[in-house]
This record gives sequence, structure tokens and C-alpha cells, in this order.
Amino acid sequence: MSELFFLPDWPIRADQVPWYAVLLLAALLAGEAAWRLRLPRVLGWILAGIALGPSGFDILDRAAVRGLRGVLEIAVGMILFELGQRVDMRWLRRNPWLLATSVLESGLAFAAIFGVLLLVGAKPLLAATAAAIGIATGPAVVLTLVKQLRSQGQVSERMLALTSLNNIYAFVLWSVLFAWLNAEYRGGWIAVAAHPLYLIFGSLALAALLAAVTLALLTALGRHTDVQFVCLVALVVLAVSTASLLKLSVVLTLLGYGTLTRVFDRARRFVSLDFGRTGQILVMLLFGITAASLDLRLLPAGAAAAGALIAARYAGKALGIFAFAHPSGLSLRKASLLSLGLMPMSGVALILARETSASYPELGPALVTVVLSAIAMLELLGPLLAHFAIVRAGEAAEEI
Amino acid sequence: MQDLTFKQSAPLTFGVELELQLVNTRDCDLTRGASDLLPLVERKPHPGEVKPEITESMIEICTSVHTRHREMLTELREIRDAVLAGADRLNVGVAGGGAHPFQHWSERQIFEGPRFKHLSDLYGYLAKQFTIFGQHVHIGCPSGDEALYLLHSMSRYVPHFIALSAASPYSQGVDTAFDSSRLNTVFAFPLSGRAPFVRRWEEFQAYFARMQGFGIVESMKDFYWDIRPKPEYGTIEIRVCDTPVTVERAAALAAYAQALARYLLVERPHPITEDVYHVYSYNRFQACRFGLEGEFADPHTQQKRGLREDILATLDALAVHARELDAEEGLGEISECVRDTGNDARWMREIYAKSHSLPELVWRQADRWRGEGK
Repeated sequence: MSELFFLPDWPIRADQVPWYAVLLLAALLAGEAAWRLRLPRVLGWILAGIALGPSGFDILDRAAVRGLRGVLEIAVGMILFELGQRVDMRWLRRNPWLLATSVLESGLAFAAIFGVLLLVGAKPLLAATAAAIGIATGPAVVLTLVKQLRSQGQVSERMLALTSLNNIYAFVLWSVLFAWLNAEYRGGWIAVAAHPLYLIFGSLALAALLAAVTLALLTALGRHTDVQFVCLVALVVLAVSTASLLKLSVVLTLLGYGTLTRVFDRARRFVSLDFGRTGQILVMLLFGITAASLDLRLLPAGAAAAGALIAARYAGKALGIFAFAHPSGLSLRKASLLSLGLMPMSGVALILARETSASYPELGPALVTVVLSAIAMLELLGPLLAHFAIVRAGEAAEEI
Repeated sequence: MQDLTFKQSAPLTFGVELELQLVNTRDCDLTRGASDLLPLVERKPHPGEVKPEITESMIEICTSVHTRHREMLTELREIRDAVLAGADRLNVGVAGGGAHPFQHWSERQIFEGPRFKHLSDLYGYLAKQFTIFGQHVHIGCPSGDEALYLLHSMSRYVPHFIALSAASPYSQGVDTAFDSSRLNTVFAFPLSGRAPFVRRWEEFQAYFARMQGFGIVESMKDFYWDIRPKPEYGTIEIRVCDTPVTVERAAALAAYAQALARYLLVERPHPITEDVYHVYSYNRFQACRFGLEGEFADPHTQQKRGLREDILATLDALAVHARELDAEEGLGEISECVRDTGNDARWMREIYAKSHSLPELVWRQADRWRGEGK
């Protein structure tokens, strides 16, 4: 043993550094810097992730990041649950034009993306699978912006409602197409019908069960914010892990869980939910790590086609929103802002895109490059546009 | 400079303004929605008017001029339904009540517009705390002098209106112990309280000119008095009522004011002297704090009795006038409120005692505003 046994080993090994704390600190600083520049904090968190990730200084330890995957899944779960819980589905009954808007904006976005991908030479089924992913607006971006700006008003409320719905459509459509893709390339037509049905109905059944259990527990616990908070954190974690164990969809289960909790809660046992500071930390890490996993080297090759894809997606969504703006009670000005507000693409899209491309190397590099480039570009552009939409609509509470 | 000529109006006509709260359907906190809601409501024709107020979480509805309680109530219901139709499409809740029970004033945003910006600059946090919701009742007067007579003789009855309408027991998340906490907020303003004791309209004009000369006020709107003359309408405006939880109560309060005005103008039961103002603040406090259980010092008989008792005695005196005005239904509701059901503040405390939840209370307020629920 050395005389200097009391000194630490040098150099420090990468796995000894708590990289998530470094990332958190970097995200915090970048977020506050962005805020001072009147930009969304989310953008700072994302940039911090990119800077520390493989596209930047490449100092995030991959193993450590992988170790955090469980925690990040919980963060995704919390966001989806909160979004589902926040959106009042009775609104759709009182204003059916909103439901019509959501179907149309999703449908047109799908068609537009599908068209662009066909033009870049993708096979129809593959293009459709990718287009399904493109329907979804990023729930984490939208929810985080609305909460950070403490915004209220039709742009904010409809951003949340339409995001919640288009994530559901995107997932359902993707699982059907993905199963079809499976059958096309691997055979096994039973799975074409059975797999999506299992995913969709299994997830919804689990969601309904969880919602019923939650409300029973909340009834027993009473209307106390702090008590309900702990109860819900535990239940959301359980929901995420149960969905994974049963190979169900985390997205559909958690969104459905939040939504159904709200729908079943006729006696209004559920006081308002906010995952608060704890949730905030998880969400910052989620943004940082998702951004770190972006591959920006694809950008030069894919930028042009990705730009066309983004423009088409925007056109589809905007057209859908404008078509029913008047009957749904939205001014044209707010309709134009709402169209921008739906631009963020989700981290979930990244996961789905990776899953699709990992299972199907035959997708061809062209399609992968275009889709991943579009996701990367929207990762930065989306929060900026949505932030702009909320602020311009005059719905932000914070002095900007 | 405001023209203070008193526009004649048909005596005993009446009109109502109600300030309403806009709440979200998630946790029932106040929500910014006025500028989304108003254009939507205006798309379809409806009676009366729907207007913005100082914050984005508040709107005001105004009826046209009426002579009969029943017509007033019908119109109030129609305006209410027009507002609700718009609000439902935007997922915004609408509720009565004198204050939001748990809103935080620092969260409020001032509605865009020069007058509102001016108020916000002048009054600072008071302007944001002014997120309180009142009912104003206008009574038509044939002349300025008659308006001042009615204003001063009506002052004795100000506690009646406070106790009957009181609907703001909770404020900033706590039970204030007051039945109407809203009026305490109004008191913070320098130009609140009562109008000066002048009987002739020329004297009032001179007073106003003096205040204007100091630069203290620009228009009548700068006075936040409990009862205020409104020369351009030819009315006096009773401003002490909290917005009730239902339109039925709002119409009944207006009918009570109308019958009282007829009683005072026709029977002239008391000479008007400044004596009425000696006990004014005491009576007002009693009504705000204790509602119908409050004490009442009668400036004319110089005796003290319960406020409830005084209202019941007044209702007896008004019976014949109510018949003349077809206002019996409205006064029936008032009588029931005094004898049996109590004011809205009592209902609110009962709901909270059962649910231990202020958001739940706001839900119930929104249900009752819609004409549903109990």
C-alpha cells in the first residue's frame, strides 16, 4: 500500500463521475441562459444534452446513460399521465369540432408526410409507418412549455388536447402498420391482427384498471395534495413497469391511465396534479439525454428532404386546424399560432423510429436519414415555435 | 371633462350588471379566457351585453332596462345561456360568487385596454386584488334631485343588500369569517365608501367639479361608492352586492331594490338627514361580517335589532309595492332566503364543510350558475 493511500486514484474513471448530475447542472445553466435570451428553457436543456453527447464533446458516459433508462421511462410516464389527466375529454363532447379538428390535422399530417417520403423513394408501407410516427406532437415539450410559462387560453389548452389525441392516433396507427410490416417481411399474418389488438386493447384495459384502483385509493386517502402526490408517483412507476413487463405500450397505457382517471372521477376525488420539483429534475434529464442521443452527423445529408418533410407536416396540421377553426370557436389568429404550437416532434417518435429501423435494416439508409434528420431539426425548432405561439397568443403568465 | 347632466329616465325602471368568474375545468382556479370568450359570444345575437372587465378571468353581463322582475329574470337566463354556450366550446367554466375562494392575486393578468392599464398602474397590487365579483343594480330616477334623495334614503338599507347577497366567505384559500369579504377589498380604495351628503344635483355637480379641479377624479367611474349616481343613465347604482351564485337570486335582489325604491319614493317614510351615516359603517360591518345574523342600528328609531328582523319588517312594508310592480315572486325568494335557506355564504360554508375542498365548491358554484345542482 502506498504511503499516499489517502489520496484518490488518478485519473478518475468515467464511471465514477455522476454524469447525470453534470448533465443536470449543464442543462440548468443552459436553460437559465436561454431564459435570459427570452428563449424557452427547454431549448437550453436540449442544447446542453447535444453539447455533452456524442455530437458534441462526447463526455457523457454511455453506460451511465443506459443506467438511467429506467428513471427516464418514469419521466415519460409522468408526462403522459399528467397530459392525459389534464385534458378534459368531456370538452370533446361539448365541442365536437375539436375532435374533428384533431382527426383532420392528424390525417392531413399523415398524408403530407407520406407523400414526401414517397417522393424521396421510400416504399409505401415503410413511408406510411414513418408518417404515422410524424403525426405525434411532442407531449413533453408542449406540457413543459405550458407549465413553465403558466399559460392559459385556447392556444395552450388546445395544444394539450390535440397533442394528447394525436399521440393516441399515432401510436395506434404505428402499431397496426408495424405489425403489417412484420408480416410483409417476416411472414406470420396472425400477428398482423393480433399484435396491434393486443397492444391497443391490452394497454387500454391496463389503463382502465389502474384508473379504477387509483380512484379507490384516492377516495380512501382524501383530498390532500401531498398524500395524493406520493400515491400517484408510486402508481405511475408501477404503471410504467407493468406496461413494459406485459409488452404493452407505455405511451398508450399512461395516456389512457391519465385520461381515464379524469373520466372516471365523477366525484372529483382527484385534486390537481403536478409532479413538481422532483418531476422537473426528471424532465430536464429526459430532455438532455434524448438530445444527447440525437445523431447530428446525418443532418447534412438529410437536411433538404427533412426540411420538406417538416414543411409538409406543418401544412397538414395547419390545414386541419384552419378548416374547423371557426366552428370550433377559434379565431384565425389563434389558429395560426396553434398550428405552430403542434410542431414539436416527440422523443417517443425517436424511440419508435429507432425501433422500426433496428428491426428493418432493409428500410434503407435514405429513409432513416430523412426521418432522423427531421426529428433532430424539430428537436430544436419545435420548442422555439411552440414557445413563440404561446407568447404571441398572449397566454403566458410570466413577464417575457 | 365629463358632462354631469342628469339624464331623465323612467322612475323605477331597473337594470342589472353582474361580474362573473371564469375558471378552468381542471382545478377550478381562475383562468384567463375573457378575450377568447367574448368574440365567440358576440357571434350570435343575444339580449343584453357581455363585456370585458379588469382582468382576463372576469367578464361582465348587463341586462337591458326593465320594469318587471319576470322579464328581468328571463333576460338574465338568456344572457347566461349565451355565455355558457360559448364557454362550453372553449372548456371554460363560469361561476357566480363574490370572490374566488382560493385564487392568488399575483397570478392575475390585467385585461388589455387603456383604462385598465391606468388602474393597474395607479393601484398596483390593489388592482389585481380587485379580482372580486359584484352585482350592480340600477334604478331609474326622474331627476338628479330625486336620485340624490333615493341614494341617501336607500343608504339605511345598504346592510340588507350586503347580507342578502353575501357570497364571498372564502378568500385566498381561507375562511375569512366574513359573509362578504369582497367589500373589505373595496374599502382599500381611497374613493370608496359613501357619496357626500348633498341633496341637490347642482350641489353634487359642484362637489364633482371640485374633485375634478384637484385632479383627484376624471369621471364618475373613479368613485367606488356603495351607491353612486349614474347621470348618463339617469339612475342610481347600488354596488354593494356580491354576485350571487344563481341568476334567480340576482333577479330577486334587483326586485327587492326596485320595490324598496318605490316604497321610498311613494311613501317617503323617513326624512333624509346625515344621521343615517352615523351608524352606517357599523351596520355595514355587521352585515359583511355576520350576514343575516348581524345587528342593525336603526338611525331613525335609534334602536338596535337583528338585521334579519329588520329585513322581514321591510318586506312587510314592501308587500303592497311588490304587488304594484309584479315583483312578488322576486320578493318571495328574498323572504325565503331570510326565513329559511340563508344567503349564498351559508350555502358555500355548508358545501365546504361536507367536501373539505374549495375546488369542489367552485365546481358546485359553476353547476348552480348553469341552473343545475343544489
